[in-house]
Amino acid sequence: MKGSHEVIVQNKRLRYRFVVHRNITILRGDSATGKTTLIEMIKNNAREGIESGIEVICEKKCVVLEKENWERNLKEYKDSIVFIDEGNAFVKSEDFATCVKKSDNYYVIATRDSLFNLPYSIREIYGIRNTSGNRYQGTKRLYSELYHLYNKDAFAEKPDKVIVEDSNSAYQFFDELCKREGIYCEPAGGKSEIYRCVQKSREDRILVIADGAAFGPEIERVMSLKYAKKMVCFLPESFEWLILNSGLIKEKELSVILENPSDFIESERYFSWERFFTKLLTDKTKDSYLAYRKDKLNPTYFQEVNRAKIVNGIQEVAGSKII
Amino acid sequence: MPNPCIKQASNNFERQDTYRYLLGRYYVWGIMRSQKGIKMLNIYYGDMPEAIYNTSLYFDNTYYDNWLQDDFSKKMIKSVDKAVVLSGQAVESKALGVIPVTKLSGGLKTLLLISHQPHKIFNASTCGDNCAKWILKIAERCDTDITINLRHIMDFGSGHFQIRILNNDTVVNNMSELVQVAGYYI
Repeated sequence: MKGSHEVIVQNKRLRYRFVVHRNITILRGDSATGKTTLIEMIKNNAREGIESGIEVICEKKCVVLEKENWERNLKEYKDSIVFIDEGNAFVKSEDFATCVKKSDNYYVIATRDSLFNLPYSIREIYGIRNTSGNRYQGTKRLYSELYHLYNKDAFAEKPDKVIVEDSNSAYQFFDELCKREGIYCEPAGGKSEIYRCVQKSREDRILVIADGAAFGPEIERVMSLKYAKKMVCFLPESFEWLILNSGLIKEKELSVILENPSDFIESERYFSWERFFTKLLTDKTKDSYLAYRKDKLNPTYFQEVNRAKIVNGIQEVAGSKII
Repeated sequence: MPNPCIKQASNNFERQDTYRYLLGRYYVWGIMRSQKGIKMLNIYYGDMPEAIYNTSLYFDNTYYDNWLQDDFSKKMIKSVDKAVVLSGQAVESKALGVIPVTKLSGGLKTLLLISHQPHKIFNASTCGDNCAKWILKIAERCDTDITINLRHIMDFGSGHFQIRILNNDTVVNNMSELVQVAGYYI
């Protein structure tokens, strides 16, 4: 499946309206906001149809997956939006991650557990809040929408240390920038090591740079360290996305893709968006002087003009200078 | 070449041994503390086979009507679910109208379970951060130590508290201390 899909679920008392943008969406937030109610309404509609008194408006089929026979049931769902409520421990399993990777469905999962087997985006973690209410035929309808839980941080100060997710091209680029500013830059050795890396750091101000497209499972514990450390996170989709977005690559088609990536990213083919952006950048620069390799950054990207373009692009995304 | 399966199995045994050792140590420590009249909230982070995971289902099949009748439960229900208790079997919720107790939120059901079955261990990751202060209050007013299982980093707020993290047997006094330990175990 690809594209963004609006889902409206309503009865005479409640109305939910939200848009699902990519293969994995996580629902969490406070208790009693209506996550289970939303999923139960979808379940009742799927089972009883119009006789349930519940209306589900979506161009894709909305279904609910439960613990019993989940593997068998999941095989039957094609091109659907699959909702899973809290209390289903299977969502943490590798088997489930394998099924998600192979399927052409989108998944909306209500859980506070960090699902380390699934590469979900920080931008697709939502809570539910009530925005307004009105009376309708003696009943009360609450209009709900989803809101982002993890917002981009403000960069007020220059960091003492920069931690980059891995040692690939992103680290090589940011390390070069850090050297010029006399800042220590450290590769974390993978996204799951960032928490440990920040925790062990003795520097005063720490900047974390990671691919937001797959950082969802890590965001909670890394962000929680704000209680103990002066730390900010810069989490763009990916380093490749930053290059594509900087205007360094001149392609008409690029701006259209970057404006609405979900229209071009087939979930069955790309488990997470950063893989798509890596392929896109590699393909667009193939056989050119900017030929991109993820493991070793082409020295052309360090040249004054090219570097300045990427840095400007980063500043634009971050809202200010980050290094 | 070493068989990776053997290594995996050996790691699992080591983990289970450590887990049993910590629980055993906690048990002895708990008896000593109870004798001195000191109570504390204990948290075990990560997977815990003993903990009841699907608290909503467990609540639906085990709750007693009188669990909703005391003032403390009524306050929790009002605070979390914005609902007023009508009887032991029904509440009036701001959002849903009159509903049976089984339609309460998953977080509130877990709070009621922790409060009324303090000797059992429940998966408190079914609770949002709006339940955190109530978990601390339950631990404060309970006659015995409370143990919960968390699979995420619950935000207990910026105040002072005393929580024992069972994974490494340490006591933390605020969120700054808690987050520096909890993240290793979720």
